[in-house]
Amino acid sequence: MKLKLAPPRRHDDENLIPLINIVFLLLVFFMLAGTFVQAGRFEVIAPRSLSTAAVEERQLRVLLAADGRLAVGEREMSAPQLRHLISTRLSEQPDLQVQLQADRQLRAARLIEILQIFRAAGVAKLMLLTEPDDA
Amino acid sequence: MMRLQRPLPRRRLVSLTPLIDVVFILLLFFMLASSFVEWRAIGLNVATGRSDGRSEQAPLVIGVGDDGTLRLNGAALTLGELELRLRRSLARDATRALVLRPQADVPLQRMVSVLDRLAAVGGSNISLMPGEP
Repeated sequence: MKLKLAPPRRHDDENLIPLINIVFLLLVFFMLAGTFVQAGRFEVIAPRSLSTAAVEERQLRVLLAADGRLAVGEREMSAPQLRHLISTRLSEQPDLQVQLQADRQLRAARLIEILQIFRAAGVAKLMLLTEPDDA
Repeated sequence: MMRLQRPLPRRRLVSLTPLIDVVFILLLFFMLASSFVEWRAIGLNVATGRSDGRSEQAPLVIGVGDDGTLRLNGAALTLGELELRLRRSLARDATRALVLRPQADVPLQRMVSVLDRLAAVGGSNISLMPGEP
């Protein structure tokens, strides 16, 4: 009886090369196109607007949650602490731009309170961050 | 007779599998750590002196009520009427001061929408003040 020989096994790795190509392309895309998420103390959903003004590079970003809590990065702080922090930063860098990332559900009364803190701390340039309105 | 030696099959030094593993992990990392939010900004006027001296006329006060109503210098208006009036006033004096006065419970999204409208009709000197309760 003649046994048929199994065909020689092909190198499995050969088949993986197109896969690797795709994965590399995806990797390059995400590396180039994305910007790193900045960790924040809580989640803030910015309001949508028609504004087309782009933000300048990140300077001092203040988070303001819907319930009125304040944070800078991971640090939650009270209004007087924030005022002190901004005054200190402004004395080091007088043209500091403050970016306010406030939640879209925030009450107007609280926003105006916070604006008065910025004013008291001597902020000259304040930007309210918004998301583009795609609709 | 000369004997030709067949070249040995080329052997890969490293297997590709660990490479793929690493690349996948990198891919996962970049997918999770990157964000594609395009930030936009609205400049808010926080200067201490409310009037910056560019305009001598009294500011136009736009009130936004908790129930969504709009007022111009106290008179209730629809959004279309408000835009029309503002466009007329700003045509005479483009630097006329506009003051947005939202009531305490107006959500920020509503304020931003009104600010967008004010900017769209040509308002440039906009400031924010607490509204009457």
